[in-house]
Amino acid sequence: MGYSTLLFLHVLGAFTLVASVGVFLAILLAVRRQPDTLVARRMLPAARVMWAVGGLSALVFGIWLAIHVSQYSLTDGWILGAIVLWVIASAIGGRISAGYKNLGDGSLVQSQALVTHGLLVALVLLLLLDMIYKPGAG
Amino acid sequence: MILTIRPDSWNFPLLLHVGGAMLLVASITVAIVAFVQSWREVDPEGSARLFRFGALTMFYAALPAFLVMRLAAQWILSREHLEDSNVSWIGIGLGTSDVSGLILIMTLILTGIALRRSRRGGGLGKLAKVGGALPLLLMALYLVAIWAMTTKPS
Repeated sequence: MGYSTLLFLHVLGAFTLVASVGVFLAILLAVRRQPDTLVARRMLPAARVMWAVGGLSALVFGIWLAIHVSQYSLTDGWILGAIVLWVIASAIGGRISAGYKNLGDGSLVQSQALVTHGLLVALVLLLLLDMIYKPGAG
Repeated sequence: MILTIRPDSWNFPLLLHVGGAMLLVASITVAIVAFVQSWREVDPEGSARLFRFGALTMFYAALPAFLVMRLAAQWILSREHLEDSNVSWIGIGLGTSDVSGLILIMTLILTGIALRRSRRGGGLGKLAKVGGALPLLLMALYLVAIWAMTTKPS
């Protein structure tokens, strides 16, 4: 696979990942405002699938790119940083997803949900900053 | 492969452009999920709630994200002195952006009318179906734009 195709698949994965974060935020908004569990319940499966597919493809094609392009190395600070951010974001995303498991029975702790969603947004923003600015890259 | 490092002064407009594009795709995804689920919902009240959620997402999230993406695109074009460029990937990007802007406005108008009708008790009707289907077209256009921006066909 060539550089352009790998970059396209990596960026597409990143867009899917951000889209899933958007759907998670929409679910949180629906639950907080109404609480509208119908909207939340109908959106949750899409968020879970996109989170898994987007997250995995962004990571796999990102690592593939780092190996494919001679100017990059997996040990570059900005690439290692991105992998660490991805791992933390994955753990938080998994926690958010699990938190919505019993949606509707009132067990969702909204203050905790707000913190975890905020953390997820911050991590995704940091990942984007890291990919654009590439700190430490020659 | 030889990669060129872009000047630091291009990074912020690029961040706004890519970030705006990601927010745009994310908000359109939310709207699409809400609209599709609204069509599938058998309870009319539940269907209206899902449709309303999708329509408001288009207005409060997709429209501002589109403006950020488009204005930042113009900013970075001017930074790179590419405003008059005939390169095809820029043409594809600007073309999809302009067409999608029109479709976005049409979506907002149609879903807005459908929402008003639904509030008066007239049901969602066919306008809601058309307005709710347009974001699917937007998503297809943005897939083309992402492909063009990353592969940069010349």
